[in-house]
Amino acid sequence: MTDASQPTVPNSSLHILDARTKRRNAAESRFKLYGMIAIGIGLLMLVTLLTTILSKGTGAFTQTFVTMEVELLESKLDKTGERDLEKIKKVTTFGYAPLIKTAFEQTVETHGIDTDLKSKTMAKILSKSAASQLRDYVISNPDQIGQTIEFRFLANSRVDGYMKGRVTRDSIANDKNITAAQLDFVDQLIEVGALKKTFNIDFIIGADASDQRPEAAGIGVAMMGSLFMMLVVLALALPIGVAASIYLEEFAPKNWITDIIEVNISNLAAVPSIVFGILGLAVFINYMHLPQSAPLVGGLVLTLMTLPTIIISTRAALKAVPPSIRDAALGVGASKMQAVFHHVLPLAAPGILTGTIIGLAQALGETAPLLLIGMIGFIASNMPGTVGEGLLSPNSAMPAQIYEWAKRADPAFYERAWGGIIILLIFLISMNTLAVLLRRRFERRW
Amino acid sequence: MYDTEKLGTDVNQTNTKISARNVQVYYGDTHAIKDVNVDIDAKSVTAFIGPSGCGKSTFLRCINRMNDTIDVCRVKGDITIDGEDIYDKRVDPVQLRAKVGMVFQKPNPFPKSIYDNIAYGPRIHGLAKNKADLDEIVEKSLRRGAIWNEVKDRLHAPGTGLSGGQQQRLCIARAVATEPEVLLMDEPCSALDPIATAQVEELIDELRDQFSVVIVTHSMQQAARVSQKTAFFHLGNLVEYGDTSQIFTTPKDERTESYITGRIG
Repeated sequence: MTDASQPTVPNSSLHILDARTKRRNAAESRFKLYGMIAIGIGLLMLVTLLTTILSKGTGAFTQTFVTMEVELLESKLDKTGERDLEKIKKVTTFGYAPLIKTAFEQTVETHGIDTDLKSKTMAKILSKSAASQLRDYVISNPDQIGQTIEFRFLANSRVDGYMKGRVTRDSIANDKNITAAQLDFVDQLIEVGALKKTFNIDFIIGADASDQRPEAAGIGVAMMGSLFMMLVVLALALPIGVAASIYLEEFAPKNWITDIIEVNISNLAAVPSIVFGILGLAVFINYMHLPQSAPLVGGLVLTLMTLPTIIISTRAALKAVPPSIRDAALGVGASKMQAVFHHVLPLAAPGILTGTIIGLAQALGETAPLLLIGMIGFIASNMPGTVGEGLLSPNSAMPAQIYEWAKRADPAFYERAWGGIIILLIFLISMNTLAVLLRRRFERRW
Repeated sequence: MYDTEKLGTDVNQTNTKISARNVQVYYGDTHAIKDVNVDIDAKSVTAFIGPSGCGKSTFLRCINRMNDTIDVCRVKGDITIDGEDIYDKRVDPVQLRAKVGMVFQKPNPFPKSIYDNIAYGPRIHGLAKNKADLDEIVEKSLRRGAIWNEVKDRLHAPGTGLSGGQQQRLCIARAVATEPEVLLMDEPCSALDPIATAQVEELIDELRDQFSVVIVTHSMQQAARVSQKTAFFHLGNLVEYGDTSQIFTTPKDERTESYITGRIG
């Protein structure tokens, strides 16, 4: 307007930025800078997180083992010589301790190790599980009694910590569990190759162990607990969630009742998970008397927690299908249900799948509700044998197992907590990747 | 475009297919259609014209009860097809829609193959006994939709990959595949370029041999070109209804005249 009335204003050249444009450009550059800083901070956090987890957790995947030959003396294990399993079973782990002592004496002798330690002290570098490992072997192979067999025993957590740099000669001053002389002996064993740090599959497939034997603890059984819970969640939350969403989105009349339901589903998604935990405790365990600590109950609780997520994402996916597709189907005389199932649902499927997988991943990482229904602590020491057992026998879950390890005193458990986090993250990342891939694969344009 | 002499004879020979009496439509509290009375002839093209929001599409959607899918929409009055009240309690809208096909404003093929787009209607209505039957229906429908020659070599390519004009003819072919008696078209050419529009218009003229076509259009030229009868809607009222030639040359109502001469709308 001013330009029109004053056509010869000297500073209206396009080559000179006016103050207003300069301010706008400056504001835009500032905003870009803020954005880059924000992303930079985010990336830094992520890198820190990943390096911390990896540096602290990778140790859990290797373990120190002592390899030596043990003579399974008939005189100690089967005095009668009848190979009667019932009688062999009567020999407790105490009965096996002398065998291990003898084995150490022989190892020292054959390798020519120069040491003053008594065999009893030597044997203490092994895990407390060594005797039971021997006993388990003999009970399942009674015909081997009398033979000399090579065994690989777990070293105890102090020796393992020494190998991993967690335990040093300085730090053991006040440690009753290990002495400098024992560490000297460990060094000698390393030299002759009898003691080695190797990959430990038992951490991934094994069961949790008591406070005394951190070196024997594994996350495998808790993984099964998580798996069974996820099966329950998938089997319940997916059909219920999808059916509820389809009904609400496509069939339900829009009135105040559905409005209230809608608002409440959104609210449920924001309810803290521990609330679902106490609900599960009150309803499933106290009222319905389902077994405590069972993955079935955990799965039911997580189903309640996951349902809102699945319903919300499914409804969003259904909403995203253009109404013209519904019109087209109805226009050729399809019934409402045919229109939904033949046309709308296939188009919404990638969104539904993604939502479900994200919901499952959330449920997989959930700890709080499990605390309340007792899926925490040293619960299961054996892999469940059948599906029914897997659902009903007490078990823990991966995040609960990690929490359990993190709160135990021994630093060896702390390392396992980090290792468990790596495994949990691998699961979560693969599930999210699967969600992205499914979305890419099935996404269709219309 | 089409000679008016033919029109005159056609109108006299045909009889009433769809009849509406005192139709009122409400969207919530809004009175969208007020007291519409109209008789639509069989085997002819009837055009609904009028400014935006005048209720012509709403009325069209009453004829196959597509308005049922809108919760707040209520329809009063009688609409009969061949003398049968389509809002009778015994009428299943699904059955009605097989008899009254519809083509929409925006081409909306299913994101499936061209073949499946056409075959879907016959399949759900059980019109084909076997694969050969279905193939035949698909070919016949695509021919009626004047698109067979363009797609016969790629029946299993996605229907969404066709051009806009082809998609719309595919949708018309899909609508006729269920052998309807009435074909409703809601601004079928508004998303198309002039060449595609001309093709679709030509097709509409051919379809008149077998179907009663009702077309909603914003283009008065289109109404003049393709229809035998024209209804002018304004603010929810049916202002004037009569032979297309009469409406466009000697409108009786002032509002019709204002609209077709471009003074309102």
